[in-house]
Amino acid sequence: MTGTPLPADLPDDRLPDVLGKALAGLYTGPARLPARPGGRTEALAALHAWTGAGYANRNFLHGNVSRLSMYLRHGMLGLREVAAHARSVMRGRERDEFLRQLAWAEFYRLVLRQEGARVLGNLEDPKYPARWTPDLPDDVRTGATGLPCVDAWLRHLMRDGWMHNHERLWFAAYLVHWRGVHWRAGYALFREHLLDGDIANNALSWQWVASTFSNKPYFMNRDNIDRYSSGRWCGTCTAECPFRAPYETLEGQLFGGRA
Amino acid sequence: MTGRVVWMHGDGLSVTDPALHAHPDAPAVFVFDRPFLRGTPVAFPRLAFMYQGVRDVAAHRPGLTEVRVGGVAEELAAFAARHAATELHVTRNFTPDFARIVDDLRAACPEVRVVIHEPERLTGYAGPLRRFFGFWKKVEREVLHGDAPARGHR
Repeated sequence: MTGTPLPADLPDDRLPDVLGKALAGLYTGPARLPARPGGRTEALAALHAWTGAGYANRNFLHGNVSRLSMYLRHGMLGLREVAAHARSVMRGRERDEFLRQLAWAEFYRLVLRQEGARVLGNLEDPKYPARWTPDLPDDVRTGATGLPCVDAWLRHLMRDGWMHNHERLWFAAYLVHWRGVHWRAGYALFREHLLDGDIANNALSWQWVASTFSNKPYFMNRDNIDRYSSGRWCGTCTAECPFRAPYETLEGQLFGGRA
Repeated sequence: MTGRVVWMHGDGLSVTDPALHAHPDAPAVFVFDRPFLRGTPVAFPRLAFMYQGVRDVAAHRPGLTEVRVGGVAEELAAFAARHAATELHVTRNFTPDFARIVDDLRAACPEVRVVIHEPERLTGYAGPLRRFFGFWKKVEREVLHGDAPARGHR
């Protein structure tokens, strides 16, 4: 035997120390517990607590989203049981939209089955003349871009291991389109930190933003960030805002006109 | 000696995982993949989250559950040998690493039959995929109304 055995019953108060020593050299950052605890028992508690009330506001950062993705990613919950729960406790358009989001997860898994390792490269050519650099800039890696909104998204990623979907989209658009960094660098950063990080959802969502798995690149402007963050950053921000322009102007700047 | 062992991986950290569910008494093992983690940055909380998943499995199944750190195929081969297993059960995942590890294990231990259980699916869709919109049109009724095919149906 060349491997190392570990007890399977470490309590949380000993977990960072014992697991940290066993995995020394095999992880980044400090050895600490995740912001949300893992395991089927915790997952079921989170599922049963989810009523879907207010899911209509899901696109707002303050909106009530399920935060079940990390449990689904590791099989601690199954898509079918989450769908069954949603059908029993949710109603109307909120229910249908939530179920549609579960179908996205199934779709990405099936694309991974169909494409295999190809999902780690551009599935299609980008839909604009992209010149992406491969490496993550240092200011992004350290969460010190000087843009309060971007640095907050990065803080959520690194501290919580979780980001609201709108934050993921905004950050991806910022990195790929504004900074000109290849989506794979962003994929790797998300894989490093997200509790729900996986190949299928992660790589394909980045490709969707980058336009290598969609018909056009996703991008946003300041008004969009201000609206869906409920004014969290923009009102007091003194930074030179790269997002402050109408969509038509940004489209020309980023993609050379209509993408 | 059961003759069977179960390989638990990061996509199935629950007693409801099809391979674990099929063999609740068989020894099961989860391996933190040392070669992969050496070459791939992963923050500690992600690994702790997975450990908590394995711990919960261990607490809720009658069979032995082990956690190891090492090369996955080598650890699985040694685990099967320690338990005199002739079958190793696992639930399929679609990552490229899964296929490679199964190939490595079969090459290293031809005497151990690898039995692959199919993962649970939300839909029964089996056609080609390109855009979500086209997929959604095909599965919308099934997903919204819950009349998906039974578990294990492909």
